[in-house]
Amino acid sequence: MAVEMTMPILVVDDYKTMIRIIRNLLKQIGFENVDEAADGQEAYQKMQENKYGLVISDWNMEPMTGYELLQKVRADESMKATPFIMVTAESKTENVVAAKRAGVNNYIVKPFNAGTLKAKMSAVLGDF
Amino acid sequence: MPAANVAAQVRTSLASLKASDLQDAQIMEVLKLAHQLTDTMKLFFSSLDQSICQEFNYIADYISRTRDEISALRPNDIKTERIPSAGVELEAVVGDTEKATETIMSAAEAVLCEDATDYDEYRAAVEARMMTIIEACSFQDLAGQRVSKVVNSLRHVESRVARFAEVMGVRDADGFESEEEKAERERNEKNLLNGPAVGGPETSQDDIDAMFADAGSVPDLDQNSIDSLFD
Repeated sequence: MAVEMTMPILVVDDYKTMIRIIRNLLKQIGFENVDEAADGQEAYQKMQENKYGLVISDWNMEPMTGYELLQKVRADESMKATPFIMVTAESKTENVVAAKRAGVNNYIVKPFNAGTLKAKMSAVLGDF
Repeated sequence: MPAANVAAQVRTSLASLKASDLQDAQIMEVLKLAHQLTDTMKLFFSSLDQSICQEFNYIADYISRTRDEISALRPNDIKTERIPSAGVELEAVVGDTEKATETIMSAAEAVLCEDATDYDEYRAAVEARMMTIIEACSFQDLAGQRVSKVVNSLRHVESRVARFAEVMGVRDADGFESEEEKAERERNEKNLLNGPAVGGPETSQDDIDAMFADAGSVPDLDQNSIDSLFD
C-alpha cells in the first residue's frame, strides 16, 4: 500500500531544536503534516484526540519517557497499531532490546541524518 | 569534684579521726585499714584521671585538626563562589548554544526556501546565509573556554575533597542515599535512562538495524550475552 504523504506524524521530544530538526528532515523527504509534543504525557493525550500515521519519539523525557509512552500506546486498543520509531541517544543494547520487546517498529540512535530517517520510515511504512 | 580531691578529703577525715584520741583498738584497726584503702584509691584515681585527661586532650587535638582541615577545604568558597560560578558558566554555554543553533537553523531554513530562479541573486543570498552560519559557529570558542573554567572548578573541588578525605582518614558511609536520590535512581532504573554514551553510541546503528532486519522477534539474549556486550 502506498504511503500517504499527507498523513499526520507526531514528533515527541523535550528539545525544541530537535523537533525543529526532525520537522525539517521530514519536510525534505516530503512529509509536512507534522504535530509535536514535549513529552510522553502530552503525546498520549494528543494521540487520544487525533489519529497519527507515525509517532517519532525521543526516549529520555520528563515526566513521561518515550519508553513509557510506547508501553501505553501498545496497551491501548485504540492506538496500538500506530507505527512507532524511537529516536534517541540511549544506545545501550538493553535499551534497544527493551524497546523492541515493548513493540517499537524501529530504532534510530542520535545523531542521525535524513537518509537514516527516511530508510527507517520506509522500513516501517513501506516505500515512498 | 575530681577523684584525686575526693581521695584527699577522705584522707583528711581519717587523719582527723585518728588524731581525736580514740581508745577502741578495733576502731583504730578499721581506721588503719581505711587509710590503706584511701591510699590505694588515690593511686587508682590519679592514674584514672591521667588517662581520661589524655583522652580528652586527644579528642580536643582531633577536633582542632578537623576544624583546621575543614577550614583548608574552604567550604564557603566552594559553596558561594566555585559551584555557583560553574553553574552560571554552564547556563551561559546552554544559552550560547541555543542562540547559535537558532541562528544556524534559521539561516539554513532560509536557504532552503530561497527562490532559485535568478542564479546571481540566489548565489548572493546563499553566500550571505553561509556567512551568517560561519559567524554563528564562533560560539564554540566561547563555549570551550567556559567549559574549561567549569572543569577547572571541578578539579579544584575534587583535589580539596580528596586531600581532606585522605588527611582525616574518611571512609564513605555505606548505603547513604537521600529520598530524592533514591527516587531518581529508581526512575532511571525503571526507564533504562542511561543517557548518551561518551565517544559515540554504545550500539551502532548497523547493529541496531541487524536486530530489526529479522522480521521476527527480538533475538533472545540472556543476561550473560547482554553483559558480554558491555565488557
